[in-house]
Amino acid sequence: MTRWAIVADLNLCVGCQTCTAACKHANATAPGVQWRKVLDFEAGVYPDVARAFIPVGCMHCEDPPCLDVCPTTATRKRDDGIVTIDYDLCIGCAYCAVACPYQARTRVDHRVAAYGGKAMRPEALREDPKRIGVAQKCTFCAGRIDFGRDNGLTPGIDPDATPACVSSCIASALHFGDLDDPDSTVSALLAGNRHFRMHEDLGTGPGFYYLWERGGADSAPLAPAPMVAEPAGLAAASPELQKSWDWRAAINFIAGGTGAGLFAATALAGLFAPFLWPAAVVALALVAAGLFFVWLEIGRPWRFINVYFHVRRSWMTREALAALAFFGFGAAGIWFLSPAAWLSAAAFGLVFLYCQAMILRAAKGIPAWRQAGIVPLIIATGLVEGVALFAILAVFVGSGPSMARGVLPVLIALVAARYGAWRRYRGALGRDGAPVHAFKALDRGLLTLCAPAQLAILALLAVAFVAPVFLSAGAALALATGWFFKFTLITRAAFNQGYGVARMPARGAGMSSPGIKPGWMVS
Amino acid sequence: MWHRAFTVSPDTPLTELIISFGANVEASGGVCGVKRHADARARGVRRIQVEPHLSVTGACSAQWVPIRPKTDPAFLFAMVHVALHEADRSALDIAFLKARTSSPYLVAPNGFYLRDKKTGKPLVWDLIAKKAVPFDRPRIDPALEGAFEVSGRETGPDDEFWDHRNATCRPAFDHLLTHMCTYTPEWAAAICDVPADTIRSVATRFLDHAHIGETIEIDGVTLPFRPVAISLGKTVNNGWGGYECCWARTLLACLVGGLEVPGGTLGTTVRLNRPADNRWSSVTPGPDGFMHYPMNPTAKGEWMASPASRHAHQTLVPLAANSPWSQALGPTHLAWMMQKQGLDHLPEPTPPDVWFVYRTNPAISFWDTGAVSDVMADFPFTVCFAYTHDETNHTADILLPECTDLEGLQLIRIGGSKYVEQFWNHQGFALRDPATKPQGEARDFTWIATQLARRTGLLEAYNAAINKGAAGVRLFGEGYDFSLRTDKEHGIEDIWDAVCRAASAEITDGADTQGLDYFREHGFRTRAFSVLQWYLYPALVEQGLRFELPYQERLLRIGRELGARLHEQGITWWDDQLKEYEPLPRWQDLPGKWERALSQHFDVSIADYPFWLLTARSMQYAWGANAGLQMIHEVADNIAGHGGIIMNPAAAQKLGLAEGDVVEVSSPLGKTEGAIVLRQGIRPDTLLMIGQFDHWVTPFAKDLKAPSMNALTPMLLGLSDATGSGADLVKVALRRIGPSP
Repeated sequence: MTRWAIVADLNLCVGCQTCTAACKHANATAPGVQWRKVLDFEAGVYPDVARAFIPVGCMHCEDPPCLDVCPTTATRKRDDGIVTIDYDLCIGCAYCAVACPYQARTRVDHRVAAYGGKAMRPEALREDPKRIGVAQKCTFCAGRIDFGRDNGLTPGIDPDATPACVSSCIASALHFGDLDDPDSTVSALLAGNRHFRMHEDLGTGPGFYYLWERGGADSAPLAPAPMVAEPAGLAAASPELQKSWDWRAAINFIAGGTGAGLFAATALAGLFAPFLWPAAVVALALVAAGLFFVWLEIGRPWRFINVYFHVRRSWMTREALAALAFFGFGAAGIWFLSPAAWLSAAAFGLVFLYCQAMILRAAKGIPAWRQAGIVPLIIATGLVEGVALFAILAVFVGSGPSMARGVLPVLIALVAARYGAWRRYRGALGRDGAPVHAFKALDRGLLTLCAPAQLAILALLAVAFVAPVFLSAGAALALATGWFFKFTLITRAAFNQGYGVARMPARGAGMSSPGIKPGWMVS
Repeated sequence: MWHRAFTVSPDTPLTELIISFGANVEASGGVCGVKRHADARARGVRRIQVEPHLSVTGACSAQWVPIRPKTDPAFLFAMVHVALHEADRSALDIAFLKARTSSPYLVAPNGFYLRDKKTGKPLVWDLIAKKAVPFDRPRIDPALEGAFEVSGRETGPDDEFWDHRNATCRPAFDHLLTHMCTYTPEWAAAICDVPADTIRSVATRFLDHAHIGETIEIDGVTLPFRPVAISLGKTVNNGWGGYECCWARTLLACLVGGLEVPGGTLGTTVRLNRPADNRWSSVTPGPDGFMHYPMNPTAKGEWMASPASRHAHQTLVPLAANSPWSQALGPTHLAWMMQKQGLDHLPEPTPPDVWFVYRTNPAISFWDTGAVSDVMADFPFTVCFAYTHDETNHTADILLPECTDLEGLQLIRIGGSKYVEQFWNHQGFALRDPATKPQGEARDFTWIATQLARRTGLLEAYNAAINKGAAGVRLFGEGYDFSLRTDKEHGIEDIWDAVCRAASAEITDGADTQGLDYFREHGFRTRAFSVLQWYLYPALVEQGLRFELPYQERLLRIGRELGARLHEQGITWWDDQLKEYEPLPRWQDLPGKWERALSQHFDVSIADYPFWLLTARSMQYAWGANAGLQMIHEVADNIAGHGGIIMNPAAAQKLGLAEGDVVEVSSPLGKTEGAIVLRQGIRPDTLLMIGQFDHWVTPFAKDLKAPSMNALTPMLLGLSDATGSGADLVKVALRRIGPSP
């Protein structure tokens, strides 16, 4: 077997960006898009400061998070470990972009010329319309490797068969080769030097290694890089707010969760009281609206049917399938007033809700999303919102008021459960650590899932037992805090992983020093 | 001694320890420099970077020592002190000092060498015969230390002499010992803001790594092996303090016998001592057993009272020498300054009748760019080779659109050891063949040059110059002659075909004469270049020559003579510079010198300008001619500080400044604006602006709005040293304009 990998010798890298430029030329990436780049790191406090240059890009992981999440199978992994993107299959949902903890993927939605306006001759010559609106990233220059192999060349040895970044490196800091070949340069370098991989703790198995000290490889794992909440001048390496999913994606989580919860509440209530079909219609409409908004966000919307290609692994595919069943049984339930159909729709709605939670959980690139506690929290918020909206709708429809009072204990229990899920989620996030600004976003504002707002909701709902007029207020507040939370989670707390260095390298005869994980803290 | 930074290099392939004072070789050494130093790091070289900010080179070094700006001589003096007064004598290369330096020369009471009356040769004290003898007498053991009663003649400036009888004289080395006695690490610590222990440990490492007594065999020749070197950066060895640094840097190499030997400090190229193509041939005997050096004359009747160049380099700077390259080493800024205001007792300055500008943009890449632009706007006729609209060609009368390097044809010499970090085992020629068609109306340089020659009636002289080697290769030699007919206009390929043929002949000693087609097929052609030729030491030994260190009598003499000549002319404005002509330089308060010059010239309180502003070379922008390329800007942005003002976070906090805040940086001369970039790797009293770009016309670059120190750095006589050089250094104030945009 073959497993291609890059080894970067941090003792040698000078941050010249020749690899960055070579990659841009070899792959004709658009202005501002860098499949390969070299970050400028500093660790320590004056006068004890170390500075190092860290090449980054797609790590061609052993277990690539982008591969699992891709709903269309556009992202694949070759037998030799190279992770590829099929531009014809990709719908541009950017799920892979938020799943990648190395910020390696980008999507360009419009042609961009280096100097604005008209493209220069070389830009026009090499323009690739297939890349517009879809995910793109480093390919390890797979074309060069394949060309080389087909022509008797050895990747990693022959420049024409080696990734452009490696071939261009003026310091011989970058090396490419086959990890499964014990005689390859990369195998020898790893055997003879201490090394780390970025974000090793995430378990992605990157195919990109960083040498930080000469001498035999140490099998003892490195301690995690120290978190530094607000390091000076490391904005480019610190977590950034993801821009792939905006308010349209947030609406999908808000409306989808509420709709699924509402249908479940309506269906269950329908077992004990007349079926409140207008609420069911609202539920279907909410889920549909959420999906419509997220459809507006994808880069190649008319390829949306491709989303059904990856049921084996992608939670986005499963969400789409659950949505189909939800709409089918839901519509049938409303039309035929069939409890079996309601209940089936409710069940698929809950599956839909679970899929939404798992979509976030699988987004390994966003620390605030990938927490295990996000799953019960998203489900709890969906249920609270659904029941709360049901209660509000019930107040205004037919025999609803008594029905609303009937669901009051359920709502109180769910709000309490949601608060418990929030505490669990927030506690774990705080212990594990996350981007500083993610904490700031989650903890900011009045309408949060934190104790004051939730206690106020519970108080209002408790008072509603004796003064029903407070029910709507309590339910509305429960609804609002859930929506605000999800909007915050998707658009304000969704800071990506950023970059980290486990050890600052030894330079020449110098010593290595502690690394840094900039922009992170425990809280 | 005249080894300035741009020609001096550690023997990077062999050295073990490099102490680099602000030499940003990773950014300025080109591809070759990066590769050499990466290879050196891979084999475990220890580089200690002494500089106020943690540059790219500092990042790649084993240790960073943050030093207060312009105090490097104090650090170096303290290193010399440790070597002379704290280390055992066995830590020094005594044999080298005795045989290859001026250390044993006896110094007479007036500061000049004591000489043999008959021969005029400097005397040394022979420990075997216990008497003074000429330095070059065989089988002697000259004393380095002690005081001796001796007789002889002391020759001063302008042939003045004193005959001494039984005068007490000490060897130059003994004078050095006394001179460096007070320059302790503790003394330097207070000046440099670096702990004395750090200075002492750096000095000790230097001595420990020198491997005194060890040898290495290269191409069958046994040479000393001294794998320690010291590098100086541009701002360190330019302007006031440059002399002290160059002296101490080279002296330290001499103390351990590490000058021009494997592993040590090398000069790499020939700029002044001709011939330029062979370092060994450039070594010829000069006076007093030293290498010849073509100083500009200072003796009465020989001194050039009326300058032949606009910056008067032959008149003011004997050390700039008298060679085709010398003009570039003179006080360039005086040429610009004098266009506005002539200096007393020098001829009235005149603008050039025709000014050619080739691949340079001084309107944005000089000190006080506003003043420079004003001057060039008044030039009567300017011709610019042009690649884009820029700030200098903005006022040109004629633009000559020239091919870029990817579009033009040229044969280039490669290999050898010419220039810093060029350590090759081969030398020869490479063809730069057009990779793409020219854009627009751009023409190959050769075509433009030929047309200029033809249309100005200079075709014959032009062709003759090419025949003599103006295109890099002489077209005739023993057994071959590819000379062009001088009365005819030749095409681009015809010219380069002749050059290629001559190159083939030169490199094969006439055996082959293939032309352009051969180079087009093979790309380059080389032959072996002996590693031995990287070092001057064999040539010095062969001729029995010495380096004039530690004591520089010649400098003392020409300084006195120059002073006399200038004063005879009524010129007193160069008096401060004349004080630099010392045989053993003393520490002078360099930061204070800057502060005084600024406060006196601009009548300001220097306390209002609390920060030192420095610049650093950008690897991506190199000399800055590519600032108009979007791709370069994009990739350069990955390195911190481009386009901003780098500042220490603690210093910023004291002023209430945060990352990204837009500030105005002002010097007594001018102002610039930019965003704060916080980095721990900079001293709290220092600010840094990477690159120096003041573009206001160049497309794309003009929109970058990057701060530049050019408009802040004045051209002042008071900030020009005796060699006429100044430094990219100024004191500034900071004022917050607004938050991050």
